[in-house]
Amino acid sequence: MSDHHDHAEEGSPLTETELRVRALESLLVEKGLVDPTALDALIDTYETKVGPRNGAHVVAHAWADPAYKVRLLEDGSKAIAELGYMGRQGEDMVVLENTPKVHNMVVCTLCSCYPWPVLGLPPVWYKSAPYRSRAVLDPRGVLRELGVEVPEDVEVRVWDSTSEVRYLVIPERPRGTEGWSEAELAGIVTRDSMIGVAKVQAPARGGRR
Amino acid sequence: MRRLLRAADVGQVLLKGGPARLPDDVVPRFKPGDRVVARNINSTGHTRLPRYARGKRGVVDRDYGVFVFADASAMGRGKQPQHLYSVRFAARELWGPEASARDVVFIDLWDDHLDPA
Amino acid sequence: MNGIHDMGGMHGLGPIDREENEPVFHHAWERRAFALNMAAGFLGEWNIDMSRYAREQMPPAEYLATSYYEHWLWGLERLLVEKGLLTRAEIEARVAELRRLAPR
Repeated sequence: MSDHHDHAEEGSPLTETELRVRALESLLVEKGLVDPTALDALIDTYETKVGPRNGAHVVAHAWADPAYKVRLLEDGSKAIAELGYMGRQGEDMVVLENTPKVHNMVVCTLCSCYPWPVLGLPPVWYKSAPYRSRAVLDPRGVLRELGVEVPEDVEVRVWDSTSEVRYLVIPERPRGTEGWSEAELAGIVTRDSMIGVAKVQAPARGGRR
Repeated sequence: MRRLLRAADVGQVLLKGGPARLPDDVVPRFKPGDRVVARNINSTGHTRLPRYARGKRGVVDRDYGVFVFADASAMGRGKQPQHLYSVRFAARELWGPEASARDVVFIDLWDDHLDPA
Repeated sequence: MNGIHDMGGMHGLGPIDREENEPVFHHAWERRAFALNMAAGFLGEWNIDMSRYAREQMPPAEYLATSYYEHWLWGLERLLVEKGLLTRAEIEARVAELRRLAPR
């Protein structure tokens, strides 16, 4: 990402980008094409309501309830909707399970498609040229760079999100979490593990939340 | 008809989303297990067939059903309802012998991106 | 189109830079650019595929030098003008006016 011309914040000179955003907003509002309070509601939704906690809930539920996991892998959209998550940029969900033999990871090489209802808006690295270019070409190298070493006998499956189908990875449930509550499990599921670029780590003994 | 998005409707609008799946009854050109080759297209318009897959051979893994064909829809040519598939490509088919023999890339492609191989 | 957006398989674009505890938006303008895209899209003048196509037409050097929400902003301007909701001249005039009024 380049920040070369967007350092300005309140009280400092406006950057060209800020000026253009303000210009568009003011013109569209004047013409009655955009309601500024709708903009506030959209921002609030993705800043405070929709995010990776939703996906963590789905994963924890799947770990805790084998029948739910079966439904989730069979029809992702329907099973995720059971928990109340659905809609924009998650209309058609496919869920992939990481196992000791298969490691799934998700990318969108053409833009930055991402399952918003369960993970929120994508992080900068996911939208960045380095990830989009190399995830399909050298997934093991990318995973290594992100701290995940995939053994040679494990199959790496990369999912390039080229349609409106959106993918969510169920990471492997770490050992030592037997008997944990769903809320405790959800607490250790990270965003990156649901994209397939991180493993879920159980906190060391005594670190259980 | 232009629709103005109101703050009070934002929640419902987001929950409803904008489904690209269509109810149309369209005969699929392929079924899971079929060997396919991605077309070598170089249109100046929009396409969801990435360059790295063009001309490459893969296997249809899943048939996702009937969807809006993005390549047409982006150009104002309507929805052109057709089947969307998850197509599996071996890493070695895409990237050559240096790639892992075990690894694969799944790409979502439509009927109009594919030919039988 | 064979654009810069279609980057699967390219080398040399640098390391993957992951930020700890990343905020949803990094700047106030990103919030507005995101929401403007969503609200303007709802008008029904274009579809999501047209939005992607618009962003893909950003010149390649500029695409690589700018961030995701700058791509969105560029695409939105293009669609607004293409569909006749705003003119290029009125956007530039408003930008110039805001620049004059902006704190220095």
